[in-house]
Amino acid sequence: MTPDRHEIASALRLADPALSRFDPLPRIIAFDDFDRGFCGWTQLVGNYEDTLDAMHPGYAQHTQAMLSTLPMWDFGSHGGIDGSYALKIATRPQAGARNVAIKRLTFRRRGPIRLEFYFTFKPEANELSLSETDVRSVGFLYDLQTGDRDGDAWRIMPHLRFLNALNGEHVQKWQFKRRTEPFAPVGSANKTVTHYHLAPEGWEDIAGGGQKLCYNEIPTKVNWHYCRFDFDLATMQATGLACNDRELDLGGFDSMRIPAMRNLWCMLNLAFFVETDVDKRASLFIDSVCLSGDF
Amino acid sequence: MLRESQAAVVARNEEWRGASATEPYEAGWASEAIVFVRALKDAVGAPGRARVELSPDGMHWVAEGTEFPLPVRAGEVTFARVSHFGTWLRIAADLPEGAALTVLVTWHLKA
Repeated sequence: MTPDRHEIASALRLADPALSRFDPLPRIIAFDDFDRGFCGWTQLVGNYEDTLDAMHPGYAQHTQAMLSTLPMWDFGSHGGIDGSYALKIATRPQAGARNVAIKRLTFRRRGPIRLEFYFTFKPEANELSLSETDVRSVGFLYDLQTGDRDGDAWRIMPHLRFLNALNGEHVQKWQFKRRTEPFAPVGSANKTVTHYHLAPEGWEDIAGGGQKLCYNEIPTKVNWHYCRFDFDLATMQATGLACNDRELDLGGFDSMRIPAMRNLWCMLNLAFFVETDVDKRASLFIDSVCLSGDF
Repeated sequence: MLRESQAAVVARNEEWRGASATEPYEAGWASEAIVFVRALKDAVGAPGRARVELSPDGMHWVAEGTEFPLPVRAGEVTFARVSHFGTWLRIAADLPEGAALTVLVTWHLKA
């Protein structure tokens, strides 16, 4: 009996220690192991024209991601899941500050895609305290647009975050955001606009989305978490969210939906972000990311 | 294997006054770095010099010994070279009272 090609692919992936911790769809679009460099993850810079003063302050605060060994003052480098390096996204040390790293692609076919990644987060360990409520949230988003000849012409932006803490309260729940923010023109040529889709208002709870993640007992010890998000580019609907041992209910989930823009056809951007709840830097670490599709 | 390299903008359109510094940048993978400072606007007064700083943990900083002049005119670029710096890098400056400079700071790092 001739084995099915998908069975062969699955067996080969299970035999590969790097891929075996993922459950990818048949086609791997990107597999980013940060021991091979930044893998196309870069700073989300805001739009501007004529002058950088035109950039929305929410974007102006962003800085470039780092390749990190998770070095800690009290014992040294923590390291990644395997190898030495992870992608590190760090905020500035002001309550409410945020930073974002983005990878910019386009899609070949509108069908199911799956984002899987391992992550952890910690505040800057500048106090001898647990600091478990210092990181406000970590999250991710897609920025998608339909093809230029598709019957539906939409820009779709699913946003998800794990709200760890808010104003000192240890909240620990998953949220989504569908509320769009107003667009504002940038510059004088009428070619560029900006909208601050990561504005802190408008987040909604995912039903049953409370989840206590392993945090560990001092601010320098980390444990890695698994996350999976399934999305169908054909229907532009989310189809699944899982974190560690939990499958979350996306029954009430929706994405931001904006009329298509004239220059973003087939866009497939994915981004990770982190927010701090206190005047202390918060960091999100990723090691590694697997984006796959059914095509 | 090509050598890893990275350009990292760590301060963009920030106005520096008084004691100023870039956000910590972790680059233990890199063995050499150049930091560029571009003035985005004409400086107010004389901004003086910047210094490279190292850190064991990204929180406690010490001067590396390299100093360089901050740019003065809009578009002017100054830079410094650094090697053998460990993991953490930043630049810092103490601008004289009344002086101000709007900076674009970029690290160029290479394995």
